[in-house]
Amino acid sequence: MYLLEHDAKELLAARGIPVPAGSLIENADAASTTALPPGPWMVKGQIATGGRGKAGLIRKAATPWEVSEQARAIFQAAPKGRTVESVRVEQRIDAAHEVYIGFLLDAAAGGVRVMLSASGGMDIEQVPRDRIQNEVAEPDVRSITECVRRLAQKLPADIGPAARDVGERLAHAFLELEALLIEVNPLFVLDGGRWLAGDARVVTDDNALPRQRELESLLRARAAAYPDVARKHEHGFDYVVVDTDGEIGLLTTGAGLSMMLIDELRAAGLKSYNFLDIRTGGLRGETRRLTQVLRWIGEGKNVKVLLVNIFAGITDLGELSRLLVEALAAAPQLKVPVVARLVGYGLSTAREVLAAAGIALHTDLDAALIAVRSHLER
Amino acid sequence: MINPRIDRSTPVIVQGITGRAGLLHSRLMRQYGTNIVGGVSPGGKARTAYGVPVFADCATAVAKTGARASVLLVGAMQLLEAMRDAVSAGILYLVTPAEGMPVHDALKAWRLCRESGTVWVGASTPGMAVPGEAKLGFLPDDSLTPGPLGLMSRSGTLAYEAGYRLSRQGIGTSVWVGVGGDPVKGTRFADLVPFYADDSRTGALLVIGEIGGTDEEEFAQALTAKRFAKPVFALLAGRSAPEGVTMGHAGALVHGSHGTYAAKRAALEAAGVRVFATLNELVEGVTSRLR
Repeated sequence: MYLLEHDAKELLAARGIPVPAGSLIENADAASTTALPPGPWMVKGQIATGGRGKAGLIRKAATPWEVSEQARAIFQAAPKGRTVESVRVEQRIDAAHEVYIGFLLDAAAGGVRVMLSASGGMDIEQVPRDRIQNEVAEPDVRSITECVRRLAQKLPADIGPAARDVGERLAHAFLELEALLIEVNPLFVLDGGRWLAGDARVVTDDNALPRQRELESLLRARAAAYPDVARKHEHGFDYVVVDTDGEIGLLTTGAGLSMMLIDELRAAGLKSYNFLDIRTGGLRGETRRLTQVLRWIGEGKNVKVLLVNIFAGITDLGELSRLLVEALAAAPQLKVPVVARLVGYGLSTAREVLAAAGIALHTDLDAALIAVRSHLER
Repeated sequence: MINPRIDRSTPVIVQGITGRAGLLHSRLMRQYGTNIVGGVSPGGKARTAYGVPVFADCATAVAKTGARASVLLVGAMQLLEAMRDAVSAGILYLVTPAEGMPVHDALKAWRLCRESGTVWVGASTPGMAVPGEAKLGFLPDDSLTPGPLGLMSRSGTLAYEAGYRLSRQGIGTSVWVGVGGDPVKGTRFADLVPFYADDSRTGALLVIGEIGGTDEEEFAQALTAKRFAKPVFALLAGRSAPEGVTMGHAGALVHGSHGTYAAKRAALEAAGVRVFATLNELVEGVTSRLR
């Protein structure tokens, strides 16, 4: 879960990492009624992506009136077609130094990559590589802390103590939250050595959610801010609308094969509506998951045909077909022809069940695609 | 060097054998020819399942059966603990199909297996197989035919489909390793390059990758470093995925220029790999080269 800056800062602040005082406003009108921290301010659009400054989502304000105006402008922006649902208004900090510090769970290196640079405050990808120090630490507080200490020796003397202090606290946060990434950029270091996290990018592991109570309740309280994670957490499978104008609804399992199918359809000039990895092993003999998916696909205004493609190896196709026919009956909003392509156990039963429901069964994917095309051309 | 060449004599236990998946897959693996010698069910009362003895822990199972490999059919949140049990009992091969293992657990498991010299395939893997000998995991029999093609894949289903179509064309597999869809995994594509280079029964290599992560790029580097001389083919999924969207696999997330289809394709082609865009092209390309 890629946390919004506001949520990330609340989590870090609770772990002894100071952040500038700030409040969250959830619509343009609330800016004038929300209690603000002392000014002047930074007005920051809350969207889970880098490059917010360049996209005009981070603005300065000197008066409460300017705060309202800047917030209004940010709410009206639509970066990459996404909408900004909330804005954090924060006290502006004048810092002597802006430092970059980041911990990344590095899968290939099998550890935590610690990154540190005196050139913070800008997009880290724009900073020359030789100005970012990095080293891989073992995934424990002592190793990460020692690693930060080593790297901090090469920083200017008035930054070092702050970097060492923040390093230890962030190491605790990284491990406690089971983060995949924590970046503080900029880390404000003030004259006298006091420091605050100016921005915070935190990505946590969705797989760990069941045992991360704090993150789980955050997700529950703010489900609208994290729709994809909330949906997956609630339903236990992956569903993504890839093209709202798509014409082919996909009922598929397996991430790789489902992605490949979308690629091949696109290469053939056909537009899929959705990606789905329904995980047939998780159906447990119930239609709930299937019905839910069929209803979602039914929301696609251009969907003209449903393509079922299941090569699940061990799934009983007879049972799957029975569930599918039941689920189709329970999702009447999806009124489109169905093309099924199945390979695996129980094929003959599946053929009977589907034939009784008027659905043709293919075992060859190319043949199924010809059938899909004929429905689109009708 | 990671050597995944198991055979029909390799003694295998199933951890979690008395669960729903444990019972089903013990049966299917045994039908295929895997030498299932026992199971583990901590705290369970069952003494046998499918005619093999069930033990409370791996140490006892190894002492009584001489097991060298384990298929762990336990839940994602229990996986690390079960792996510790297996590693401390001296088991050499671990295959962990569970999806959703917490990444920090996977990192601990990775270090544990590195230090002990254990081969770990997973998590989130459909398993591995030496066709005609044995399989560890879920790989469907229809996709498994003995032959000269080494096969490794991040995706289960896409590899099933490719293996199935190649089998129908008479192209079989030497050693199949589903490395799994997770970012932190026991065995990465690059880790297997030395094995496939030396394995005399592997004449060519097929890697089935997807967008996100860096597995394909590392693999390309390893091929070049090893001066890998056998033909290498690749199929890459996710060419049309929107940026910033996770599609199922935790690893399949594209940010900016990292892990994109274009970057992976370029890295693979620079290492001499023939990259195919569709399953049909893959089957045609591999068949015309190997037949």
